[in-house]
Amino acid sequence: MKPTIIVPVRVLEGEGIEQGVVELLANARVVLVGYHVLPEQTAPGQAREQFEERAQNRLTDIAEQFEGVGATVEKRMVFTQDSDQSIDRVAEEVDADATMVLNPATEMKDVLVAVRGDVILDRIVDVVGGLLHRTDISVTLLHVATPDSDIDGTALLDETSAVLQEAGVSDDRVESRIETSGTPLDRIAEIANNYDAIVLGESNPSVTTFLFGETSQKVAERFMLPVVRIRQPRDIEDADAEIAEAAEEATDDGEDEIDGEESE
Amino acid sequence: MDRPLDEGRAGEGDPPAVDDVEMTEEATVHDDTELERTIGLVGGLAIGVGTMIGAGIFVFPGLAAGEAGPAAAVSFAIGGVVALLVALPASELATAMPRSGGGYYFISRGLGSVYGAIVGISLWLGLVFASAFYLVGFGEYAGAALAEVGISLPGSASIALGVAFGVILTVLSATGTENAAKLQNLIVGFLLLILSVFLTYGSLDALGVFGAESVPEAFAPQGYFPVLTTAALVFTSYLGFAQIATVAGEIKSPSRNLPLAMVGSVLIVTVFYVVTIFVATSAVGSEALEGFGETAMVEVGREFFGTGGAVAILLAGLLATFSSANASILSSSRAIYALSKDALLPAKASEINLRYGTPHIALALAGGPIVVLTATGQVELLAEVASFLHLVMYGLICIALIVLRRNPPDWYDPDYRMPGYPLLPAVGAVSSFGLIAFMGRVSIAVGGIIMVMAVVWHRYYAREVRLKGVL
Repeated sequence: MKPTIIVPVRVLEGEGIEQGVVELLANARVVLVGYHVLPEQTAPGQAREQFEERAQNRLTDIAEQFEGVGATVEKRMVFTQDSDQSIDRVAEEVDADATMVLNPATEMKDVLVAVRGDVILDRIVDVVGGLLHRTDISVTLLHVATPDSDIDGTALLDETSAVLQEAGVSDDRVESRIETSGTPLDRIAEIANNYDAIVLGESNPSVTTFLFGETSQKVAERFMLPVVRIRQPRDIEDADAEIAEAAEEATDDGEDEIDGEESE
Repeated sequence: MDRPLDEGRAGEGDPPAVDDVEMTEEATVHDDTELERTIGLVGGLAIGVGTMIGAGIFVFPGLAAGEAGPAAAVSFAIGGVVALLVALPASELATAMPRSGGGYYFISRGLGSVYGAIVGISLWLGLVFASAFYLVGFGEYAGAALAEVGISLPGSASIALGVAFGVILTVLSATGTENAAKLQNLIVGFLLLILSVFLTYGSLDALGVFGAESVPEAFAPQGYFPVLTTAALVFTSYLGFAQIATVAGEIKSPSRNLPLAMVGSVLIVTVFYVVTIFVATSAVGSEALEGFGETAMVEVGREFFGTGGAVAILLAGLLATFSSANASILSSSRAIYALSKDALLPAKASEINLRYGTPHIALALAGGPIVVLTATGQVELLAEVASFLHLVMYGLICIALIVLRRNPPDWYDPDYRMPGYPLLPAVGAVSSFGLIAFMGRVSIAVGGIIMVMAVVWHRYYAREVRLKGVL
């Protein structure tokens, strides 16, 4: 299955997509969200009348870039006073796996994946596998532990690497790296400078305040490279309930089917 | 942008834009393009309360008490009842037509383009008069604030301050790209907090909890007729709730939030106004209050809490009149946009500045006359003309509701239906028009001339525009 990735673009401010990002998303279902942010003085309908045509033309050009490399593309155009709200809404509507935060990237050779031991690891692996299995882009799995962390980083990354291999990303393309830092996010940003893109998860708000609540603008400023933000399912309890239900069903159907599921 | 052939045969102007749209709770979808709804219930209430509270509490108490005595509280209550009678039908219409433009939109669709033109132009200029009125009040507060820190200026300086601020506000709204909606919520929250503390203390004091009960003066020293004329004068304090409908296109879950915000903001400010007059007249007496003029509340604050109280009220007054003026300029530019979208004004009027993303021409069409009117410094005239122009719209909103209910077009399917039809909207219409009769002659003349000019403009510029029943 192609992962669904939201790609928000400020179309009227001349924001474009660089080749590296296009290559990264060649195997994705790309939901292109063109948006234009308005001050409160301006009714969105007023802006639409004046700018719609230009915006749609620009959006079509960008869509063709992605279609050129084989991605499936859907287009949305939003006039809004709050871009994060609009992007979240569209992400919810199309049930997106991740949101792209655009930054320059001329090529795509090496992708960093930040791994923590939390509920969206499955989704991270699905997206990375889905995007990269038919490419020769290499992957570095990075776990930055805090000094008081009790997560077994090595086991976590080995397991992740194994699942990635099943998804079609062969062992020789995957490297693992474990670090310890009191400020994991800063350390990740530092390491990321040597890569072409980074994949990371929105955080489970009950565990930590990793990237949760940071606007895409802030994320874009912190990381100087394209960021694939894996979406947290909006309601953790719902997600947990779903997992529990699925597990129960699987048990009913017989032991075989839960093999390979995470033991957590 | 497809539009049926038999509608919108515009003459000299551009054809009115009629779109194929789909409304959701969070966005309006036009074919391929979505318009995000970003204002929640709190934001809606803040627009309504923030627009209204500046006038009723920080400008009118002195003037009103001077005319009607403590019975000015009744004047405010009457205003509140009339506003509520209009807020109910406006809520129903807004949930049936959650589009930007507010009262103008309902009336042009319900009653046709002539009424639409009258109301649209009245709304534009009514908000211009209202905004000028708030700015005169702001100037008074700015002058009083300077006096408080020992800089006393000649009497006319406060008008100059109001004018200067009108220019600044217009330029800022045309060039500012920062979204100030969050700020507006904070300002309104802060105002309500200060006022609650102040009025609670004042009420307890007036009832004799902290000492001798204040000597009751005659409730209506001038008799009961001035209570009605005062009600007409202070009605300017209730012009904000309909502004919520001017941004109806941006309100989230409009079927729930529009009625709650409109009715809720009227109820909130009515309580605050009535209690304010009660507290203010009990504290210093209505005669003294009259002598203090537009900044009378500062002296009431001083009476209760000394210099600290005066400073707090000064600060609150500056914020409140500022937020009222600001909200009115923005709403006025929305009214111009709605008119130009329907080809009742040239399309150029709603053009957006590419650099700042703001409707600079519409803002100038609002801000320019506001500055000129502020310079006149005629508080009562500005207030009454603003009320006149709004009351005409309010009465027509009630009539539009009756017309649409009697003979509903197939798109008329409001999520909220007002109670008491047809009696309440009829009473709303009669009382809206009735209140106009108690205004000063000059105000009625100025308002009447503006309406006649609107009709002439419609005949000259947009005679062919058909809007009735077009959604």
